[in-house]
Amino acid sequence: MKTTGTRSLVLWILAGGFLVGLALLLYGYVFHGGDWAIQPYNGHLVGGGQLGYAGQVLDRNGVVLAYSQDGERFYNDDQTVRQACLHAVGDTDGFISTGVQTQFRTQLSGYNFFTGLFSPTGEASGHNVTLTLDSNLQKIALEKFNGKRGAAILYNYKSGEILCMVSTPTFDPAAPPSDIDSNPQYEGVYLNRVLSSTYTPGSIFKIVTTAAALDSISGLDTRQFECNGSIIVNNSKITCLSKHGNITMQDGLAKSCNIVFAELAMELGAEKMTDMAQRMGFGQSFEIDGIPTAASFYDVSKANDNELGWSGIGQYTDMVNPCHMVILMGAIANGGTPVIPYYVQSVTGAFGFPFYRGHPSWGSELVDETLAGKLEALLRYNVTSDYGDDMFPGMNVCAKTGTAEVGGGKQPNGWIIGYSANDATPYAFAVVVEEGNYGISSAGRIASALMAAAAG
Amino acid sequence: MLEEVTSHVKIPVLYWENSLGRSRSCDIVLPDPNISRDHAVLMRRESGWIITDTGSKSGTLVNHRKISQPRILKPGDVITMGSTSLALKRAGHTAARAKKQGVARKIPRPSGLLLLVTLSQLLLGVQACLAQNSFSIYGLLPFAFLTLLEWTAFLVSSKGFHRVSFEVETIGFLLSGIGLSLLYTISPQDALVQATAMTAGVVLYFCLISFMNDPDRVMQWRLFIEIGAAVLFAVNLVFGVASHGAQNWISLGPITVQPSEFIKIAFIFAGAATLDKLQTKKNLTEFLIFSGVCIGSLIVMRDFGTACIFFVTFLIIAFMRSGSIRTIFLVCAGAVFGLFIILRFRPYVMDRFAAWGHVWQYADTSGYQQTRTLTYAASGGLFGIGLGDGYLKNVFAASSDLVFGVLWEELGLILSLLVVVAIMLFIFYARSDVTRSRSTFYSISACAAAGMLLFQTCLNIFGPTDILPLTGVTLPFISAGGSSMLAVWGLLAFLKASDERTYAVAG
Ligand SMILES: [Zn+2]
Repeated sequence: MKTTGTRSLVLWILAGGFLVGLALLLYGYVFHGGDWAIQPYNGHLVGGGQLGYAGQVLDRNGVVLAYSQDGERFYNDDQTVRQACLHAVGDTDGFISTGVQTQFRTQLSGYNFFTGLFSPTGEASGHNVTLTLDSNLQKIALEKFNGKRGAAILYNYKSGEILCMVSTPTFDPAAPPSDIDSNPQYEGVYLNRVLSSTYTPGSIFKIVTTAAALDSISGLDTRQFECNGSIIVNNSKITCLSKHGNITMQDGLAKSCNIVFAELAMELGAEKMTDMAQRMGFGQSFEIDGIPTAASFYDVSKANDNELGWSGIGQYTDMVNPCHMVILMGAIANGGTPVIPYYVQSVTGAFGFPFYRGHPSWGSELVDETLAGKLEALLRYNVTSDYGDDMFPGMNVCAKTGTAEVGGGKQPNGWIIGYSANDATPYAFAVVVEEGNYGISSAGRIASALMAAAAG
Repeated sequence: MLEEVTSHVKIPVLYWENSLGRSRSCDIVLPDPNISRDHAVLMRRESGWIITDTGSKSGTLVNHRKISQPRILKPGDVITMGSTSLALKRAGHTAARAKKQGVARKIPRPSGLLLLVTLSQLLLGVQACLAQNSFSIYGLLPFAFLTLLEWTAFLVSSKGFHRVSFEVETIGFLLSGIGLSLLYTISPQDALVQATAMTAGVVLYFCLISFMNDPDRVMQWRLFIEIGAAVLFAVNLVFGVASHGAQNWISLGPITVQPSEFIKIAFIFAGAATLDKLQTKKNLTEFLIFSGVCIGSLIVMRDFGTACIFFVTFLIIAFMRSGSIRTIFLVCAGAVFGLFIILRFRPYVMDRFAAWGHVWQYADTSGYQQTRTLTYAASGGLFGIGLGDGYLKNVFAASSDLVFGVLWEELGLILSLLVVVAIMLFIFYARSDVTRSRSTFYSISACAAAGMLLFQTCLNIFGPTDILPLTGVTLPFISAGGSSMLAVWGLLAFLKASDERTYAVAG
């Protein structure tokens, strides 16, 4: 009898197998339930879950960016708004895989984890998705790009809300051009450049070199560098855009002297440079509402001294992602740790019942607190001493511009990244204009307009 | 209680059936080199204590006379094994109760639990009345039927048989009630069949419990049960009706039955045994042959799901009988080899399972049922779309093989989980009573029945949801199917019989 009792423990194996199966089923339901439910044959879905029957996409002020009527998808009345919001909202055909119409398709169709496709009215209707974006800022950004390619993002580094996220080239989702696949003007048009592209950083990378230097070289406050317009390393030139003569690191950053930072990079060496780049988020992908960003790239493992020098001024093989740059700015503004941006504010069902609410989440520390303080002072000095505080009047902006050589006979890319240190306008921004030439005149102008509108 | 004659050491007798011998796994260990490892079995029956020699080398003597068959003991009788002599003494109260010390379990009144079940059925009835956005008082029909059946059963059990517990039945009624309510909104005609089968099932349940009152009688009947089952399979193979790939039905005039469902009960009868039978016939040959016949027939009928259920039940019984991991391993190796042979000569068998793991690629062909199940299950969310408002019920075999999906779609994930967890509770029930049963026959059969129910549940809920290959078996208590409903209540009888309180008055 006793042994029979012991042997009956064999039933636990069966029960264990059962629980494992149940766990797999629940896992599938939690992570893929929406995909299971949104099928064209599903009788609970009006129109089989097509966008033509989906809910609305709204901006932060309730402006309707996309809606459905009688089986068709419509977009905002203003063509510029339609084009500016294209990459955030997405297109009808789903080519823009990072748009909410693709990413939140199940929710727009009316599905949610808790109640499935149940609807108190009997017929499942789509949920509405409200974005944190401001369609007005979107429009301003697109207009200021003035046909140039590039990316712009502006977010509240305290709440995480993205107010503006524009990528160009773009097209009108209400009337997709017929030559979209052949016309070179539309090359890469389906890509949200803010999230999915990387660009040569140019001088904005000097922030990383500065941080690495502040971290391990002492006496930088008083140390004088000498710029004669160029230096020769490994029989090859590293050039500066001007002859700055005797110059400190602080002024070197403000005037963007290449010689100062090339020499610092060589002095620091590949290991310290790589270490700082990694700490600041290079090689790392961030998740923005479930969409992974393209990782920024810094690799000097095979670089000689000359190349190491160039890498310190954001050339060589350096690549950065605009969203990563704005997160880095947010981190410095917050004393080293960023709030991760998001742009889906809420998903609401029938009678405004909230199924999902966007919320700030802290990322991991990118800069330690004392270093963040030193960087803030330097970035602030850039604006006051060189760029001119009237670009961002009264907003206490800390920033860095960049002009990145891309070769291939193209004009350099213009960059600006920065943030307002005021509590009333806690915004960080990153703007890149392809072939924009000087960062301050191309990207700077857009950033200035966006900050003014956001503070407005 | 036993007492050593020379040393007067008292040996408590803890169970209804006790093995005596030199082996440390015996219930009463006698460290005497002249005693066999498993020497004899001391059992308590209605007639009193019985001693049986289980093929020992030196034999067992009662009052100095060698016994050749089971012998009833009177208090004071002296049992001699090897050089050890034990006297049977009266131990104040029934010896088997000695184990039952400690805190008595506090059990809510059985009628209270049943009332809760009835209330939940009323809720389902009200929901059924409101199904598909129109009111119909007929939605309360299943509720009326269930109330009548379960309270009649309760009165019969408590007043007729004076049984104190009603937990197994309560869970059975809860689950069957959910199944019936679900089926009623799909097809009232099928629900009528289901209700009839459920009534018959409850009657069968009471009959089986009475039949199992005397485990030794069951042992005598065992061969007839096995032959009957084999004949039933033979009839099925000759006269069977093919239904959707599996030839597992026979048609008897207006009704069709699925013999394999009834053979499940026979299978457990064939496998379980009293302790003295376990000790005398240590090898599994007879049961192994019977299992081979059953599983072989099912494979010929192409009812692979049921074949798997029989196989797993076989493993449970075989392990509980022999405790030999080597045997289990050999049997599994044999099964894998057999599977290999089948696939070698009948490779098209695999086609039925080709969609496994890729159902979305075959959404409109071999993955049709699985994708629909997943889609509509997810559509139900945690709380369900509402009874009668689902779409999965329109898919083939929805009310039997895909019923878990229908349950989830219409009544929600939470309730569906409740159902499967309730089925898992039978495992706990079977385990908790395992050494307190009146015989190893009861403990083995209860564990086998609970294991069978749970494994069948696994196949039913993980098949259509693409975690396991889709085999098309029913969900116990819930799925539509008269034979299945009858068999499930029959299996429940094994669980009830293992509870020593069931026969408290009779014993
Ligand atoms: Zn210079």
